[in-house]
Amino acid sequence: MKLAWQNIIHDRARFSVTVLGVCFAVFLMIFQGSLLAGFLRAASRLIDASDSDIWITSRGVQAFEFGTILESRVREMAAGVPGVVETGRVCMAFAVYRTPNGTQQVVALVGADPNVGKRFPVPNAPESAGETSPEAVLYDVSDRKQMEVSSLPAEVEINRHRASIEREIEGYGAFLGVPFLFTSYRNATRDMGFGPEDAMYILLRVSDGHAVSDVQQTLKQRLPEVDVLTQGEFAHKSRMYWTMKTGAGGAILTAAVLAFLIGLVVVSQTIYANTMENIEEYATLKALGASQTFVARIVLAQALICGVLGSILGLLAAIPSIGYAKSLIPWIYAPWWLPAVMVIPSLFMCSLASIASVRGALTVEPGRVFRA
Amino acid sequence: MPDHFLGVQQASISFGKGEARVPALRSVSLSFERGTLALVMGPSGSGKTTLLSMLGCLLSPDEGTVFVDGVTVNQLTEPEKTAIRQKKISFVFQAFRLFHSLTALDNVAVGFEIRDPDKPQRMEMARDLLLQFGLGDKLHQEPNELSPGEKQRVAIARALAGNPPILLADEPTASLDVKAGRNICEILRNQVSEHGRTVVVVSHDPRWREFADRTITLCDGQVDQEVKNS
Repeated sequence: MKLAWQNIIHDRARFSVTVLGVCFAVFLMIFQGSLLAGFLRAASRLIDASDSDIWITSRGVQAFEFGTILESRVREMAAGVPGVVETGRVCMAFAVYRTPNGTQQVVALVGADPNVGKRFPVPNAPESAGETSPEAVLYDVSDRKQMEVSSLPAEVEINRHRASIEREIEGYGAFLGVPFLFTSYRNATRDMGFGPEDAMYILLRVSDGHAVSDVQQTLKQRLPEVDVLTQGEFAHKSRMYWTMKTGAGGAILTAAVLAFLIGLVVVSQTIYANTMENIEEYATLKALGASQTFVARIVLAQALICGVLGSILGLLAAIPSIGYAKSLIPWIYAPWWLPAVMVIPSLFMCSLASIASVRGALTVEPGRVFRA
Repeated sequence: MPDHFLGVQQASISFGKGEARVPALRSVSLSFERGTLALVMGPSGSGKTTLLSMLGCLLSPDEGTVFVDGVTVNQLTEPEKTAIRQKKISFVFQAFRLFHSLTALDNVAVGFEIRDPDKPQRMEMARDLLLQFGLGDKLHQEPNELSPGEKQRVAIARALAGNPPILLADEPTASLDVKAGRNICEILRNQVSEHGRTVVVVSHDPRWREFADRTITLCDGQVDQEVKNS
């Protein structure tokens, strides 16, 4: 395999171009993968943050951001179904926010009962009791500049109602380009102009002795005019809406596929050129008795060497870049496994890129070695 | 089946298509005895290299047979022919055909890697071979740093890796000066006299007559003359 290594490093300019091509492809794949992972996570972030087993929504709601008012009796009927131990409410609506400086902008106001989940950003939630008042408003630290809040607490207006921003949270930054504000359910319905018993989403917890699917079936029978979804189903529906139906996920995925194709073309071009340049040497190997496997291994090894080195460089470039991008795109997210997993398509890409070269090396006539 | 170590029997082959088809060898029968050096001469286009390609299992005749170590090889599959080359036959070329990115030592080690893949001490064996050919100070030089004579000695060392019994050489001295050429003649003769290898040399170079046991002259794809040298 020394021949494989020596052959590729002998032409350093070409070797560098190949490695940089792979590096670029891996970088883009990881970056686009992080955008997609972050997009998927952000699309269902608030649903995932609840501790509920079942979500009840109006019929046909595609994503958390598009809920409509449910009849108040739905909550009462759901609470009466055997196995339901707790109900909670969540609502969301776009509202006009007036900054302390007097400027106005649109925000997404989310209100929730304190029992919807420990991770759900609600003022006065059990773990944050004492830190904020029940009527407090929270916002994500990544939206600080947009909210124009210089110190906390800050007095602001939401839909012409006074509100007090009291705490910054993390991980719930603007997903639609509109900042999220979180407050109590009572506060939110008042600011949105809803009735105190109105609900947009009803969240249910099922007792340990009952199967979630059984309770879901009963609810569907008793409440045929609404959608009854498990938490996972609603999260999936929301993610699919944002990625597939809006085309945003498709665009990100397309960029990742394009990165793969760019890498494929760069590697195949350079490995093929290298193989053809050294085709006489492959003929010599075959004349000397090298098997087809031996010859194929050399070409494949060249492609994989470029793949491994390019992947390492791509990883080294992508990790700090994603860290930097977080300040611009708060929802970008690189799970720990993503860079490792991206090495697989990059090696696959290099193997695929070597097919034409392997074919060229395998079909060369060994008899050509006699031509001077 | 003829009981010969290496040779061709009534071998014919043509190249090209239709009216452009040209016979390269016409019913040639030749056998090469074990432990001899045979010189094949003849004008350009007489079929010398075609004969060498057949003997090296790189080309199959349209008609007739090729035998290596008693086995008729033109009926074998490509992997079987490759296995025969790997175990029994090696080549020396006019253009040396060294691997340009490897040092002399690595070039010879590749020969061992192909023919003796299970032996881990291929670098030591490659070094020993190069030392035998007086290239101890050139072990780590790449081909472009070697003189033509040195390149050919490295090529011969690579050809001898794995100890093949048959060595086929195509114009091995054509690119060399008189002194280097004579050195190569002596080396190949020595492979016959001391190691019992069978060497077939195709050459225009009349100096080879002095080292060959037999001289065969081809003309227009046929054997024109066969002379045993004393």
